[in-house]
Amino acid sequence: MKVRAIKAIIGKDLRETRRERMALFWIFVFPLMWITLLGGIWGGHNPPITVDVGVVYFNESAPFTAADIVNVMENVTMEGVHVFKVRGYPNESAGVDAVRAGRIDVLLVFPKGFGENVLSGLQAEVYAYFDRSDPQNYQIVSGVIKGFFSEFAKEMTERRLNITLGYMEKYVPADAMGNFTVADLKRYMLGLTNPLELEEREVKGEAPSAIQFYVTSFIGIQFLFATMLMIGSGTLEEIEHGTLRRIAASPATAWDFLIGKMLSTFIVITVSIVIGIVYAKLVFGETVFPSALGWLIIFLAAVFSMSLGLAIAMGTRSIKATNAIVNLISMPLLFLAGVVIPESVLPEWARPIANYFPLGTALRNLRLLELYHRLPNEIMPQVAWVAVSAFGMLLVAVALYNWAVRRLS
Amino acid sequence: MSPFSLLGEPMKALEIRGLKKSYGDFLALKGIDLAVEEGEVFALLGPNGAGKTTLIRILAEGLGYDSGEIAVFGEPLSKRTARLIGYAPQASVAYDLLTVEENLRFYADLYDAPKERVKKLILEFSLPAKKKARELSGGFKRRLNLAIALLYEPRLLILDEPSAGLDVPSRRELWSLIMRLRKEGRTVLLATHYMEEAEALADRVAIMNEGRVIAVGTPDELKSLAGEGSVIHVEGILKGTELVRKEFPRTIEREGTLRIGVEEAKTALPRVVELLVEAGSEIRTIRVEEPTLEDVFLKLTGRGLE
Repeated sequence: MKVRAIKAIIGKDLRETRRERMALFWIFVFPLMWITLLGGIWGGHNPPITVDVGVVYFNESAPFTAADIVNVMENVTMEGVHVFKVRGYPNESAGVDAVRAGRIDVLLVFPKGFGENVLSGLQAEVYAYFDRSDPQNYQIVSGVIKGFFSEFAKEMTERRLNITLGYMEKYVPADAMGNFTVADLKRYMLGLTNPLELEEREVKGEAPSAIQFYVTSFIGIQFLFATMLMIGSGTLEEIEHGTLRRIAASPATAWDFLIGKMLSTFIVITVSIVIGIVYAKLVFGETVFPSALGWLIIFLAAVFSMSLGLAIAMGTRSIKATNAIVNLISMPLLFLAGVVIPESVLPEWARPIANYFPLGTALRNLRLLELYHRLPNEIMPQVAWVAVSAFGMLLVAVALYNWAVRRLS
Repeated sequence: MSPFSLLGEPMKALEIRGLKKSYGDFLALKGIDLAVEEGEVFALLGPNGAGKTTLIRILAEGLGYDSGEIAVFGEPLSKRTARLIGYAPQASVAYDLLTVEENLRFYADLYDAPKERVKKLILEFSLPAKKKARELSGGFKRRLNLAIALLYEPRLLILDEPSAGLDVPSRRELWSLIMRLRKEGRTVLLATHYMEEAEALADRVAIMNEGRVIAVGTPDELKSLAGEGSVIHVEGILKGTELVRKEFPRTIEREGTLRIGVEEAKTALPRVVELLVEAGSEIRTIRVEEPTLEDVFLKLTGRGLE
């Protein structure tokens, strides 16, 4: 191994990269645009969800009517945001049509006599129409609606109990109550009507912010595109330009060339990642600074990515074909390997890709380590898998590179 | 392979025996035997496809070959002899985005050459150190190629078509650089299809055709192979050249000129003029010259160099 030759190749590649405007754009500017765009769209504080509610009710003269519930709904707020956006419909079928057309998330139909039933202590019915074609949206909307009615029912129960207990205090003789007090009775009856009470307590979670997530996405994007393309097309340019033949004829070995090329690519990618990390901190006030193990994962992923890019380039020996194949591989993986979409929302069939494709594995474990503060020993088996894959892919790339160099001769 | 300089003979700069190389079914080199003396400029002259570039790529780029033996200064050709050979290919090997100086430094590092050589060569070749390679003219790119080849002071310099595609002034400048190298005592092997280049620069010339060396000697020795006689050179708007060729088979036609090899110019000249004028040619100039290497090639192969 000739250190001077390796340093020469690294220096030459870095100078060329610095002077190639398109390379600078794709390596440095494009990822920053990506962070800015995604950070700008999803990076801020998420406001509460607003549910579009359609209502159908009948005018009643009772002191409490469906209109009163609608009025309560309209005034429910969370962090200053109205949770329900309510609009009335003249009849049930018009409201159902609106659900079907997606104009509203849910239709609530309060049948005739609703208010009277509430007031007289009978069970009052409400019909809710949901569109269940989107399970995720259905889960959210039904959860919010059921939560509202559950709270409302609890409130009504307590009021009815208070009225009932008031009557008891007034009209039931004290000796008929035995050892029970009114308070005991109230607790008992509350237990009867509401056997489980869920009490919410707030915890400040450690879940990563969207910005932190997208900083790691940006690192993944660098692996999927820049790293693969840089080494692949860089080596092909040397072949097309005739300089690889010249280098191959020099005392420097094929390994010197390969090591120089890989190290220069890694330096460029590292600088690009550091710029992205610092940029996120400066612009959004949040970022991820990888630990030593985090950098090791980044290095292993970069080796895998570079080897894959080199293998593709040496297999095709055409810059155009390499670009096409890298895009063909990387574009779906951008979404399926959990790079820009959290693995948790991926469809079931796509999860193995995110779990076992080495770049997906690397990114997932980088997130577990840096964003969810997992201990190193918890992620070591996955890191080992990335290392083995990177080494295996490197062997394939070197074999193909040697084959391509032999073909040059 | 053992070093094969023959006992009692001075060591050759380059010695090739029975070299064969094929690309699939095509035999590019059909058994080349060649010896280049130390300190001489040796030209490989031949038309495109003669096998010159294949031979040079075997010597300078490690292109594999089927059979034969090659020794460079007595050592079998290998990665170890890479530093003995400086090579300036026809195409530029400079990186477009690097400056002249950066390109030279890169190759100096690759060949582990002393850093001082970079500055020395920039001065020697009057190269614009801070200019990017892509901003250089064709002539300067060739100079840079030559400077790169000389970085580690190789004992044998190989030049592939050094002046192909250059304008006349650039070609002359490059030739003077090569002549300076000859004066310094450097061994130069150059491949060219320009017979003027071979005549102007080479001490000895090997004429190659269809993968074989068909003649080797000094330019004068080779010209004598063309036999007794002269060459009639005609320029103008020429018609009836086929009739001339029929009567004088050693005729080459190229870009409005005719070169006609004849035994005796005094008797052939009126006949040539008669044939051309009768066919309706407008002759601009006509002169009688000594034979050139191209005439030798024509005599040996029956066709021109280009």
